[in-house]
Amino acid sequence: MDRKRSPAPFGVNQVIPIAAAAMAGVFIWLGLGRYGFWHEDKGPLPGFFPVVIATAMLIFSAFAFFASFKEAAPSWPRANWYVVLSVALIIGATFLLGLIPSIAIYLLVWLRLYERCSWRATLVTFGVVMAIVVGCFVLWLGVPFPKGIIFELIFR
Amino acid sequence: MENIQLLMHGFAVLFTVQNVGAMALGAVLGLIVGAMPGIGSLAGVALLLPLTYRFNPTTAIIMLGALYYANMYGGAFSAILLNIPGDSPAVMTALDGYPMATVRKRPGQALLTSNISSFIGGLVGMVILTFTGPALANFGLRFGPVEMTALLLVAMTSIGWLVGENPTKGLLLTAFGILLACVGMDTLSGSPRYEFGNIYLLGGISFTPFVIGIVGFAQVIKLMEERSLQVKAAADKLTLRGSMVTRHDLKRLLPPALRSGVLGTFVGVLPGAGATTASFMGYAAQKSFKSEEPLGSGAIEGIAACESANNAAAAGAFAPLLALGIPGSGTGAVLLGGLMMWGLNPGPLLFVNEPDFAWGLIASLFLANLVTLLIAWGVIPFLIKILSVPTRLLIPCITVICVVGSYSTSNSMYGVVVMFLSGIVGYVLQKARYSTAPVLLAFVLAPMLESNMRKSFIISRGSLGIFFEKPISLTLLVVLSAIVLFTAARPLLVRAGLLKSKGAGQ
Repeated sequence: MDRKRSPAPFGVNQVIPIAAAAMAGVFIWLGLGRYGFWHEDKGPLPGFFPVVIATAMLIFSAFAFFASFKEAAPSWPRANWYVVLSVALIIGATFLLGLIPSIAIYLLVWLRLYERCSWRATLVTFGVVMAIVVGCFVLWLGVPFPKGIIFELIFR
Repeated sequence: MENIQLLMHGFAVLFTVQNVGAMALGAVLGLIVGAMPGIGSLAGVALLLPLTYRFNPTTAIIMLGALYYANMYGGAFSAILLNIPGDSPAVMTALDGYPMATVRKRPGQALLTSNISSFIGGLVGMVILTFTGPALANFGLRFGPVEMTALLLVAMTSIGWLVGENPTKGLLLTAFGILLACVGMDTLSGSPRYEFGNIYLLGGISFTPFVIGIVGFAQVIKLMEERSLQVKAAADKLTLRGSMVTRHDLKRLLPPALRSGVLGTFVGVLPGAGATTASFMGYAAQKSFKSEEPLGSGAIEGIAACESANNAAAAGAFAPLLALGIPGSGTGAVLLGGLMMWGLNPGPLLFVNEPDFAWGLIASLFLANLVTLLIAWGVIPFLIKILSVPTRLLIPCITVICVVGSYSTSNSMYGVVVMFLSGIVGYVLQKARYSTAPVLLAFVLAPMLESNMRKSFIISRGSLGIFFEKPISLTLLVVLSAIVLFTAARPLLVRAGLLKSKGAGQ
């Protein structure tokens, strides 16, 4: 997929160096203005190291920006962002339902409705993943996963 | 000769049913813990420390030593099969391990290469530790802030320059990784820095969720493009025989594994450097040698270099721990705590006062290395079945592991948010043809670099001259200059016909 690139005048190839330069600018500004660069007696202050690195990053960003126009723009298939959306929904649902129920619902919905897997494949995959999560992380390692507002309201 | 006799005495101490059983249990648990993203050797050793209370000190430390060692093997499993490093030293393994397993369709060989290299690295490290343990520990002590600054600059710059097709992009991401690591507390003064008033950022960006995101979750997003492809798992590859490496493969993996074994042992001895630095340096060093396939495209040499280095570093880290009582890493600190809990005082006198313990532990590491290799080899056919799972089923499974693994590192949703955001950043960077390895290396090493660099300037009262006055740092700076100059001059040399282009093989 990556190979099929079409030339574009302005895109992510230019946005990355610009964002990096902006980040470097913020680090330099805060480093010099708030955290300090050098003290005659104490030597380097908390802003010293980030300012030095951010200055270097600013220079690299400029080089990367000018070189970026020679590169072709990548493609962004819409389906890829469904994974991002699903994790965003898991994070949101966790506050309401808890993490384990949220990932359980995600697994069932993704496999059965999005991928249109058979019930057998859905349940086997669901069983294996939940066994790893509950068996290793909850029972063995004792990770206290968040239970969510609804659970807290019912069982408090 | 005396050391060999003492080692034999250690083996005599080791061979009791309880000790061998504890060692095998440690090896199995280490493999499991290492393969689980988000847990890592530090958490693994800490979690299992209470299990050892019932044992005598020798048995207990044998178990923990085996666990620590096996952890280095286990971290590579998920890195090779899922592109999710189980632990930070396995980050570099994913660079070649995952393409070898998926693009080159040699998952069994990738896993076995990693196992054999880990074994060789561990063996080299243990041999060096046996014969030069105390001397090695003293060598490590010669690395003060100035020398460590120079060493870390070499490690960071070489990866920034050498990984990926474009050095500017590599350096840009190295700087990006360093700045991200600056968020949170200032390493020396402890004052808040770049936290933007956010209580979570005050503690910095957690490394494990960051790695899971930028490597693992980014990979899951990318996998969506391949979800409709049919998986063709060759039946012969699902057996032990199908996983065997050829004689030619062995020839390819031996030189980098031996080289990285020696390099990794010395890096492991350095205070605070650890297996992750060793793994990065092993990989960077391999770039200077010939590889049959370009590194990053599934080259055996790439897997061998970093896997051997990280296991050798684990062995090397025992030198300062046992001979001087100085832990080289967080895991080493937990092991040191265990030793003290059992009433043992590591230091030069440990080998004199507690020879059974000290040499029993060293002997157990030799045996644990072999036992872990055999166990890890035995589970390959089961592990590579993961790759025969259709991508469309694998995507939700890995997504859940990313979420759960990143939560479990901090017991907070903050870890999941870090994983989520870094995953998106990693995906965008990969699509724009940026290699994310320099970000990870810089992120891990930045606190150490900053702390050592600032200490150096405080010692020298701001003078750069201190870096050129000490022989070790001067040598390292010459190496650094050579790397930078060679990379800058490389296009000219290629144009003049004195060198082959990178694409033409290395």
